[in-house]
Amino acid sequence: MTTAVNIQNSARELITLFYSLAKSMQVYDVNNDVVQNAAKKLSLHVTELFRTLPMAEIVLYRDYIFFNKQRLRYDVEGYVSLQFLEESMKRLRIKNLTFMPGIAVLELIRFAGIFKGSKNTFLKAYALEKLKSIAIDFMTTEDDLPEFFKDSERVKKTYFKALKVTKNLIQNLWSRQPIDSKGFRRVVYALVDNLSRDEFGLVSLTAIKNFDEYTFNHSLNVGILSLAVGQRTNLSKKGLVKLGTAGLLHDIGKVDIPKELLYKPSKPTPEEWETIKLHSAYGVKQIIKTRGLDEIGVSALIGAYQHHWNYDGTGYPGEPKTGRETSLIARIIRICDAYDAMTTPRPYQPIPYLPSIAIRVLWARHGFYFDPLLLKVFIQVLGMYPTGSCLELNTGETAIVIRQNFGYLDLPIIQVILDKNKERIKGSIVDLTTRTDIKIVTPVYAQKYGINPSTYFV
Amino acid sequence: MEERANELVMQMIKTIKALQMYGKSHPSYRSFFAPFFQKISEFLKEYSEFSLKVDRFTMAYADKVIYDEAEKDTSISFRLFRDGIRNITFYEGLTEEELMLFTETISQPAKEQDIALILWECDFAHITFFVVEEEEEPMSYVLPDTPPVDIDYDAFIRDILNREKIDINVNLNPILVYNELEELKQEIETEESRPQLPKAINILIDFLNTEKAQEIIDSLIGLLELCINNNDFYNARRIVHKLQTYPEIKPLERFENETTVTGFSRLCDPLDDKSFNEFVAFIGFFSQKTIPYFIRILTLVKRKERLESLMQRIAYMCQNDLAPVIDFLAGGNVYEVINAIGIAGIMKNRAVIKHLNALAVHPDARVRSALAQTYAELGELKKVAALTDDHDPDVRIKALQMLTLNQYTRIYPELLRRTRQKDFKLLDYTEQKEIFSCMVANGDKKLTRLLEKMLFKRKLFGAKAYRNMRRLAAMGLSQIGTEEAMKTLQAGLNKKNKDIKMACEMVVRG
Repeated sequence: MTTAVNIQNSARELITLFYSLAKSMQVYDVNNDVVQNAAKKLSLHVTELFRTLPMAEIVLYRDYIFFNKQRLRYDVEGYVSLQFLEESMKRLRIKNLTFMPGIAVLELIRFAGIFKGSKNTFLKAYALEKLKSIAIDFMTTEDDLPEFFKDSERVKKTYFKALKVTKNLIQNLWSRQPIDSKGFRRVVYALVDNLSRDEFGLVSLTAIKNFDEYTFNHSLNVGILSLAVGQRTNLSKKGLVKLGTAGLLHDIGKVDIPKELLYKPSKPTPEEWETIKLHSAYGVKQIIKTRGLDEIGVSALIGAYQHHWNYDGTGYPGEPKTGRETSLIARIIRICDAYDAMTTPRPYQPIPYLPSIAIRVLWARHGFYFDPLLLKVFIQVLGMYPTGSCLELNTGETAIVIRQNFGYLDLPIIQVILDKNKERIKGSIVDLTTRTDIKIVTPVYAQKYGINPSTYFV
Repeated sequence: MEERANELVMQMIKTIKALQMYGKSHPSYRSFFAPFFQKISEFLKEYSEFSLKVDRFTMAYADKVIYDEAEKDTSISFRLFRDGIRNITFYEGLTEEELMLFTETISQPAKEQDIALILWECDFAHITFFVVEEEEEPMSYVLPDTPPVDIDYDAFIRDILNREKIDINVNLNPILVYNELEELKQEIETEESRPQLPKAINILIDFLNTEKAQEIIDSLIGLLELCINNNDFYNARRIVHKLQTYPEIKPLERFENETTVTGFSRLCDPLDDKSFNEFVAFIGFFSQKTIPYFIRILTLVKRKERLESLMQRIAYMCQNDLAPVIDFLAGGNVYEVINAIGIAGIMKNRAVIKHLNALAVHPDARVRSALAQTYAELGELKKVAALTDDHDPDVRIKALQMLTLNQYTRIYPELLRRTRQKDFKLLDYTEQKEIFSCMVANGDKKLTRLLEKMLFKRKLFGAKAYRNMRRLAAMGLSQIGTEEAMKTLQAGLNKKNKDIKMACEMVVRG
């Protein structure tokens, strides 16, 4: 029996080799050694694959690539080739791509050769080539429907349960009541599991901003965003648990800051800021109390203490280190915390930054406040127009971003909510990667039109 | 198939029970585990998977109950069921390590542990399990309202862009290029393999710089134990050093017992140099009451340089208090006596001399040798000189060496006298050499002439027997190293007498 792990590895290898072949054919002539060698390697791997598998089926489903019914995870190593495959399949409107036993080197070369250009040229070339061992199913209009709506209940359930558990934890600490550490740990695991199944779905829920329950929502959002960045950087499962726990608990020291100060409606005075800044150090005490100092607790402690340390060595508390001397976990949380804080209404900041502007503010400070590489990963997760963003379109309509498109940071999936006359409509869902005629003009506040964006993606 | 599944579960239960009873390093456990792994591997090879349905007190294979244990404390199914596990499936490809980790995990007795979480953390490649969450009320949520604010939103955006100096129309390029991906991958690998504990210790120590908090102190004491167990003496030392700020806190108190200190003995030889030096520095924080334990473990240290380092450290720990050392001087264990003598020498506290004197007649020569060294360190050269008359050559040699290192001119006439005695020739060459070296170190200006005479002495009879004396004289001249002495040796090289020539060649040309 071929195991799940073997399938993942074989599939990644197949895609990497196919990517090498396709890329080499964009540069070299078909008879060039580079092309021939890349094709031979691919052929050998495919032949090896068919010793244990009846076929090799690659399916583009929602935003994910599946290989023989198993979802392939994006990691740092296979990122480029997997991204290439997904982009190409989307561009060429390919839903299923199946390699069958007996496939020859020449067939692979011919197929890789036509795997470029537009959908129309590909369709014509594919019809002409008559490839016997490569079968393709193209997308239909039905496939354009965003099916992720259909089964997002589980992700939502996890999100709201996590919110409840986080809220209970913080409230219990506030009121000096015992905490449910088992429940909290299980929530972290549930988040990690759900994230691996539907990253965009879970991340999109971080766009829910709650003015009244800022502390709880913020903790959870930072936890989820950190996990998403961690997943993209290919952290191990245990590494993700550490990161997720650290993200959820990063602000736990705030339970030792007077509530009237945290919820003060006006901007804190410099002295009050100094008190608020103590939360990083207080977090250390709270984590020791709530989590103990096992491996995961230690990571959470580091996250809580260092999450206001800037990449350039400024920040607080203690003596911040520069660059990568600061823990990876803290550098990830630093970005996620800043983003969520900027985009969430708070007592002294009732109108937050627009998500797309917050992304640009972060970018403007990369290398100063934020780790530049991790910030790039963060933007890959959220996109240039994060879910929940309200956008003015060149059509005169207004839309809400309801989903990201993997590999297309500035072309999300949107739903039109206002017509040209700014009348509310239940408009169509549009994948901007497939509609080159529709352009984003500018991001705007949904509140301008009295709209709560969460209602469109939750 | 059912019969084989039944047999397999029984083997699994036996393995788990053996592990619970004897621990994982016990042969009984291994004797159960090996056939379990073999049987399950064969089963999986044939059927690809082995799936067990878990109920409150039972486990079933293909809907047939093959395990039934209703006693909550011992029932393995109850242990799994309690934490929500309803199914466990093993797949072909299962490795020995995975199966061992699995059996170890589910045999853990701790009642507070969440077995579902622990299994989840194991991240098995060939074992899956299904967990049900506790019953919950149906999901309900109310989306928060966005509070209406009476402002010009577009102007507000312009204001932010101006304030942040951002042009919304400029394209960003947040794509990770290959090198960046590699860099990130490398960092993740490093980060995942690097222990985080030192960072946590830094934080806790930093914290104490601003506030004395009992939780932090307790945590540091907890981490101290972890550091000691992990042989991380650098961080252990940092913790103790920091906690010394608070005199009422005795972080090492719980480790200051004979069992713990004896446990250190197994580290002294195998530790790498850096860790050993950290260890030596660390034990300097231990209180004086532990000195006897440390002196005892010295007898187990094989590496000489490490033994010396430890003795130096113990001498420092004594803080000039001889009491713990004196106790050992009168002890029956020769090695402990020798080490105690050594430590007394390092301490340079002359009050110990009266306790040492009795050891000059100790039956063991090694004790008297150690005494020679310690006397020398204490400046008691007359007593060292007395040991050059010891009946044991090793003691005499040690005493001579000490007098060579520490000038004691009064010994010179005595040594000269000995070289002229007939029985000098009967001494071992090593001792003869030490006598000459000691003469050179303690002799007067006439020694050069004297050695010259010895070197060039004409011997009509017994020339062969006199060869050693010529060699010793040449060696002495070489050690003196003055212009005059070197001229004599050069002259010796031109002598016709082969013995003289050879003696000089040996020292001049090596």
